[in-house]
Amino acid sequence: MKKDIRNLRNIGISAHIDSGKTTLTERILYYTERIHTMHDVKGKDGVGATMDSMELEKERGITIASAATYCEWLGHEINIIDTPGHVDFTIEVERSLRVLDGATLVLCAVAGVQSQSITVDQQMKRYKVPCIAFINKCDRSGANPDRVVRQLKEKLGHNAVAMQLPIGLEADFEGVVDLVSMKAIYFDGEKGEKIRLEEIPGDLMQTAFDNREILIDQASMFSDELTEAILEEKGVTAEMINTGIRQGVIARQLTPVFMGSAYKNKGIQPLLDAVTRLLPCPLDVDNQALDMNKEEQPVVLSNEIDKPLVALAFKLEDGPYGQLTYIRVYQGSLAKGDTIVNVRTGKKAKVGRLIRMHADQMEDIDTIPAGYIGALFGIDCASGDSFVAPGVSLTMTSMYVPEPVISLAIFPKDNKSEVNVSKALGRFTKEDPTFKVNVNDETGDTIISGMGELHLEVYIERMRREYQAEVDTSPPRVAYRETITQKAEFDYIHKKQTGGAGQFGRVAGYLEPIQDEDFVFENKIRGGSIPTQYIAACEKGFKNSMGKGPKMELPVTGIRVVINDGASHSVDSSEMAFQAAARGAFRQGYAKAKPVIHEPIMKVVVETPTEFQGAVMATLNQRRALIVGTQDEGPFIVIEAQVPLSEMFGYSTDLRSVTKGQAQFTMEFMTYKQVPQSIAEELLKKAAEEKKNVA
Amino acid sequence: MLLNPQFGKANAVLRSEKIIYIKERNISMLKNELILKNPLRRMGYESDDILDKGQFGAVMARAGVGKTAFLVQLALNCMLREKKVLHISLDDPVKKVSLWYKEVFSRIATQYDIPQSGQLWDAILPHRFIMTFRVEGFSVPKLEERLTDLIEQDIFKPDMMIIDGIPFEDSMSPDLANLKTLVNKHPMHVWFTIRTHRHEDPDPNGTPLQFIPVADLFEVAIHLVPVGKQILIKALKGARPHGDQTDLMLDPATMLIKDQA
Repeated sequence: MKKDIRNLRNIGISAHIDSGKTTLTERILYYTERIHTMHDVKGKDGVGATMDSMELEKERGITIASAATYCEWLGHEINIIDTPGHVDFTIEVERSLRVLDGATLVLCAVAGVQSQSITVDQQMKRYKVPCIAFINKCDRSGANPDRVVRQLKEKLGHNAVAMQLPIGLEADFEGVVDLVSMKAIYFDGEKGEKIRLEEIPGDLMQTAFDNREILIDQASMFSDELTEAILEEKGVTAEMINTGIRQGVIARQLTPVFMGSAYKNKGIQPLLDAVTRLLPCPLDVDNQALDMNKEEQPVVLSNEIDKPLVALAFKLEDGPYGQLTYIRVYQGSLAKGDTIVNVRTGKKAKVGRLIRMHADQMEDIDTIPAGYIGALFGIDCASGDSFVAPGVSLTMTSMYVPEPVISLAIFPKDNKSEVNVSKALGRFTKEDPTFKVNVNDETGDTIISGMGELHLEVYIERMRREYQAEVDTSPPRVAYRETITQKAEFDYIHKKQTGGAGQFGRVAGYLEPIQDEDFVFENKIRGGSIPTQYIAACEKGFKNSMGKGPKMELPVTGIRVVINDGASHSVDSSEMAFQAAARGAFRQGYAKAKPVIHEPIMKVVVETPTEFQGAVMATLNQRRALIVGTQDEGPFIVIEAQVPLSEMFGYSTDLRSVTKGQAQFTMEFMTYKQVPQSIAEELLKKAAEEKKNVA
Repeated sequence: MLLNPQFGKANAVLRSEKIIYIKERNISMLKNELILKNPLRRMGYESDDILDKGQFGAVMARAGVGKTAFLVQLALNCMLREKKVLHISLDDPVKKVSLWYKEVFSRIATQYDIPQSGQLWDAILPHRFIMTFRVEGFSVPKLEERLTDLIEQDIFKPDMMIIDGIPFEDSMSPDLANLKTLVNKHPMHVWFTIRTHRHEDPDPNGTPLQFIPVADLFEVAIHLVPVGKQILIKALKGARPHGDQTDLMLDPATMLIKDQA
């Protein structure tokens, strides 16, 4: 058994869309002999890259789900999580980063650090994932690795240092100079599998020496041994340099940069060497869990196998054999036949089959020890659930899950689709916490909500393909909300006397706006003017009113309700009467509290060549944008703006047309803000019309 | 129209300028309140902005003394009066600059105990535009090009401009003169930060050396001088010479401008 945890790497490959990370993963799998042929993402052979197992991914050339795969290189075991690159799926990226010990940030030699690279980089920072960088596509025209290294420093603030020099660029890209061993590396053979080491070409010699100086200088910051060797003018060995760099990487203070072209099969093997040499093993990384018994105090987990199990389910997939749960073990080990507990639900389960994944093929294994990633079958859970040994009360830190901001109604086209749709939705909601489903009480429509237009589109496509469920959709709807802007009092009497038992209840108090919370109820009644047994009914009445605001029937948020007076009747008061009184009181107070409509505001970042600056700003201005500023980045400019989501539909088409397809944008939810008066009036009008139509 | 007789008086005053709707009244009152509390009014300069249209001003200090914090307060003061501020930074990215504003604003809001500061912030934010350049990519002609773009395409017409982090060199004189012509054409005033160095002694008047070659172009110069634990705001050039000038200082804890008292 070669299960030495020090020789294990759990790595992710993160990048901007179209930086070529799927191709890179494909090449890695080929060189590590996990696959025996290579296919291209949008290849002519129509097979598609191995990692993109979903039909849709193959067609669109993008990677949606992060398939985990396993390979070996020079006696090291490497688990690779292929992460999606589009901003709409960031929850997947975040979840993957959570379970990784290190990452390779793939950058395009032509486009450099793009907006998505920035998002991904921020996520890596949030989860403190050490990384190395790989500049791909050095064979493309316009490739300029130097510029990318500079951008890494300036835009992402990495202490980036080149580990290699390219030999030739664009169409003449032949290989790389390794600055540690000072050798030129060429990649021969049909698939670049034969590595040929040569002397460094004469014209690159001086540059190589200069860059090596910089590299050693940087590495010496993290290694006393290396500093000593330099000062005492002893020979500096490759091992010393690598040790220094590794320390820097683990401390997240140094980002070594490698170069190559995955498509042309160049530079992959040295990158794999770097993964094994420079990225941390699970022992180098501190992982924390929360102790449920001690008010969620953080506990550092050890990687020891004999301790009780703590593991995290980070991804679910529905395969032909049932639900497959990807899991990372942080402490202890997970073996076939073990009993484990889902911390969230408290349910126990027995571990049936354990497997190791290789894209869409699998291999049975007996145990998953601490530090390793694997998958298990037949366990019912949701993404992000923690599993522990019975008696343990630890949970892995909960992951940041944003609220959905956009929704649309779906209508199955036929009976068969209807059944399949519900199956599909069940699975999607389990897999992706940002994707939500609910049924509109009034219309009975099924509403799906998510983080952006594309996010929902992809799920609709997946229903069609994987579940043969044809659906029609309504136009997307923005998740507006209502809230109040000032304190208002209420004093409401609910009275009914129509034969039989009457109803009586009086509720008085006030409503006021609060921030950061949706609903707070406070009882300040002294002297029992409302008997205690009816207080809960009052709270329920107020709370129920929050679901649908009196202004536009939108969900209401940010309200504190205080009741301080009331009255009851010995015979006619009941829970029902007080619930009704509370609802009436809410309507009464709400109308006086200056209710307003809030809409989701997105942070939009556009990267455009400088010449389109004005045109792009004009497109944003048309969309009620607040342009925060522009950042000059030499040939292009980054525009940052805050734009209401409702104005962003179809923006990609608009942006493409004004910039001849040369600009890109990313968008993420920022906050809720008040809708301007004129727009609010329009919304009210629309809502009134719809109401009429329904009636 | 304002119908409530209670507001009649305010109404009469405001009518000559513009109508303020009841909904906006709160915000506008808050703005006025903050403007009145602005301690800069005591510094002995003629106008609220210190500078008049077309004029240049400089804020000089050593690194970390509070040049940016000082200018951000001038900018906020301008934004509160619904004037537009273009903030150009050569050191910091957009995010950091906007954080400066947020931070200084929230400190002012706390200091003067402003209710609904969130709404006020939302109301003044559209009056600011941040533009960042890299030091090596920056040149006055390039700035002029960008500025003309903004103004001509009607995206943003600044009343005040802040240029933070420009390295002052002898050769800049002609460029600055050009810029001055430009800001006279699209009337606005400009504030610059000038970083002074510990190892360089100022000339006898207290003017830092690198400022001397371009000093003629500037109408106002302010020096931030750390004295013990305080930071004094000293007017080097352009202030009214008479006696009602109070010395101001930056509170080193909050970086807010306050009276000596």
